[in-house]
Amino acid sequence: MAAIDNTQNPGMAQEGALKRFLRATEIDSRMLGMLGALLLIWVGFDLASAFVRGGDGLLGGTFLTPRNLWILLVQTSSIAVMTTGMVLIIVMRHIDLSVGSILGFTAVCIGAMQVYWLGPALGVGHPAIWIITLVLGLALGAAIGALHGTLIAYFGIPSFIVTLGGLIVWRGAAWSVIRGETVAPMDKNFKLIGGGISGITPGSIGATASWVLGLLICAAILAVIWNGRQRRKRFKFALKPVWAEALLAAAGCAAVIGITSVLNAYYWPKGVVDRWAQQTGATIPPEGLNISFGYSIPVLIALSVGVAMTFLANRTRFGRYIYAIGGNPEAAELAGINTRKITLMVFSLMGMLAAVSASISSARLDSATNALGQFDELYVIAAAVIGGTSLAGGLGTIYGAMLGALVMQSLQSGMTLLNFESATKDMVVGCVLVFAVFVDQVYQRRVK
Amino acid sequence: MYRKILTLAAGAAALAAASLATTPAMAAGKNICVSWKTFQEERWKTDEAAIKAVVEAAGNKFFSADAQGSAAKQQADIEGLITQGCNVILVVAFDSDAILPAFQAAADAGVKMISYDVLVEHPDALYVTFDNVGVGRLMASTMLEKGRQDGNFAFIKGDKGDPNATFLFQGIMEVLKPNIDAGKIKNVCETFTDGWRPDAAQKNMEQCLTSVNNKVDAVISQNDGMAGGVVAALEAQGLAGTVPVTGQDGDKAALNRVALGTQLVSVWKDSRVLGKAAAEFANMIAEGKANTDIPGVGKFNSGAKGVEVNAVLIAPNPITRANLNDVIGGGWVTKEEVCAGVAAGSVDACK
Repeated sequence: MAAIDNTQNPGMAQEGALKRFLRATEIDSRMLGMLGALLLIWVGFDLASAFVRGGDGLLGGTFLTPRNLWILLVQTSSIAVMTTGMVLIIVMRHIDLSVGSILGFTAVCIGAMQVYWLGPALGVGHPAIWIITLVLGLALGAAIGALHGTLIAYFGIPSFIVTLGGLIVWRGAAWSVIRGETVAPMDKNFKLIGGGISGITPGSIGATASWVLGLLICAAILAVIWNGRQRRKRFKFALKPVWAEALLAAAGCAAVIGITSVLNAYYWPKGVVDRWAQQTGATIPPEGLNISFGYSIPVLIALSVGVAMTFLANRTRFGRYIYAIGGNPEAAELAGINTRKITLMVFSLMGMLAAVSASISSARLDSATNALGQFDELYVIAAAVIGGTSLAGGLGTIYGAMLGALVMQSLQSGMTLLNFESATKDMVVGCVLVFAVFVDQVYQRRVK
Repeated sequence: MYRKILTLAAGAAALAAASLATTPAMAAGKNICVSWKTFQEERWKTDEAAIKAVVEAAGNKFFSADAQGSAAKQQADIEGLITQGCNVILVVAFDSDAILPAFQAAADAGVKMISYDVLVEHPDALYVTFDNVGVGRLMASTMLEKGRQDGNFAFIKGDKGDPNATFLFQGIMEVLKPNIDAGKIKNVCETFTDGWRPDAAQKNMEQCLTSVNNKVDAVISQNDGMAGGVVAALEAQGLAGTVPVTGQDGDKAALNRVALGTQLVSVWKDSRVLGKAAAEFANMIAEGKANTDIPGVGKFNSGAKGVEVNAVLIAPNPITRANLNDVIGGGWVTKEEVCAGVAAGSVDACK
């Protein structure tokens, strides 16, 4: 994630110097544009909400408050996890329309296992339940993805058709597992995956752990930059100027510390503090008690998935094969890449990521229903495309797609915050999708 | 198309004629028949049991046919039932337009028709259904009686493409309007929910709570699934149980929330009540009572074509902590399911 956070203040650079600055720091200008757009959206919503109702946000609104940003990240995490897989699929010139339905089906299976099978068998709340169901859920997702992958890679059925079928089949399967009922409540340990509060245990790591984590991430950024510099030296590549490296390191660390302090500034709501005091026998001082949430578990899951997938895509042979196949499938095949096997694996990975999202969504909702994840495939694809993934294949980054997911969720949350009509929301989101791709096209032509 | 229907009808008539030999159509009791649209769905089995019991208790005979989700087969089914000597046919229409010729055929043959649960706009048919606008009114009135009469209200509506979401909202607003006009109730958030999805409702509720800094006193959610999302959002702010939430459908999870106290009410359309009422009406009509003489009958013309029909709208049952016993038993939900996790002695129905 280091690459995402290191661009806090390039706006200060002079317009003429911008190009030189970008070349020196090797920052993807497209990502810079997206961060700019995100900033614009956030500031816009905070100003707009300041006019409507007023709040204690940065600019007097309700959007740029620790609470809203904390919830925004949690709301984004499920889509963000899936979009990392969708990037690889689209890069390979495929598409997966079934992710929302796989999410629904695995969520329902996880819920049914917890409530109807393991709950009665091991006793409700048994500490093994969440691990067993999570592992089985991930395996189920991977198996469904592998089935799709097999049909696509070895039977030559277009991915659009296979996954369109999957979209319908798995939604139906989700209904038939529980006959359209709602399975609730989820296991109390499992519930933490969603970031909610289970009794008096929050699904987030608290202030101290968040600071430790923030410093570790900071150290990791420094290590990555240092390591990169050493490697360039070893291979006698051109080095970035020292000031550029220092700037990236400083900006990256500043961003991490900023995010950490914002997340730590969101405190337990009063009702939860009261319940906590009641159950632990603690006394609350008259001025109230501020207990920080810090990084929530779903956000940590999404971040880890993002880091792992970036590593997979950029640093492993498997990942490089994916981009090679996307760039030119025939050439890749002639070069000896087993394209079928790679296709199968990518779809299986996608299925597993859908299961991760299923765990996050069902845990967050504290129940599983067959409607869970409906339309998610559209948001996942849109996030990947807004994040700069080319539908022609070969191009796309994990962090870009995750940022795209954040942009989409920011728009939706912001509009809901302002009480926009839902029809307006749909129209805005649709227009933004098309507009983002249009801007990207113009940019691509300019670069050429 | 017509030819196909005719052949099917002829086939069914032939079959029915064959079966006439074995069914004593002219016995003393009347024949009450039902044409289901798809008997595969779980719920119709509950309805059938209720109807059958009432019909047979009155000394009449019960027959049924399953259209298996085909408009053509349902037409043939009804033709067959007419030939078979049914006095009254209850129809759950699969396609309420395509079924009109069959209704006309029945009217011509002097067979009385009841459109059950699904409106068929034929002037001679009696329409028996739950009062859907009434569901909204019941949510609001239960909120006023047992939840809150004043304060900040949030409205989580269903899918904007579903006319039911709008009907419900009309009913809700009818009841709340006096208090809104008097300034007692303030509408702080109002939002449609894509596809009635619980997870979308959860996000909407989270944004609502953020926008008013948790100052929400009551939530009108239009169904139980969305109420689940609303309660999850309230829970995260430590507000679950203190903010009353409405819903409908009698979902098992929702009934459990009612027992736990995190949801105020689930308006329940008990299909056994609907089936029992419709069967009683069928018995009366078979004995020669006119549609206009049925107890509780009124005029209904809110269908797509605006045809005026005689209708009985059955009031649904608002399930709160006080009358949870109404849902327990009868095969819908068990006491264990309703009372899971409920502190001993806190709810009468769970004792």
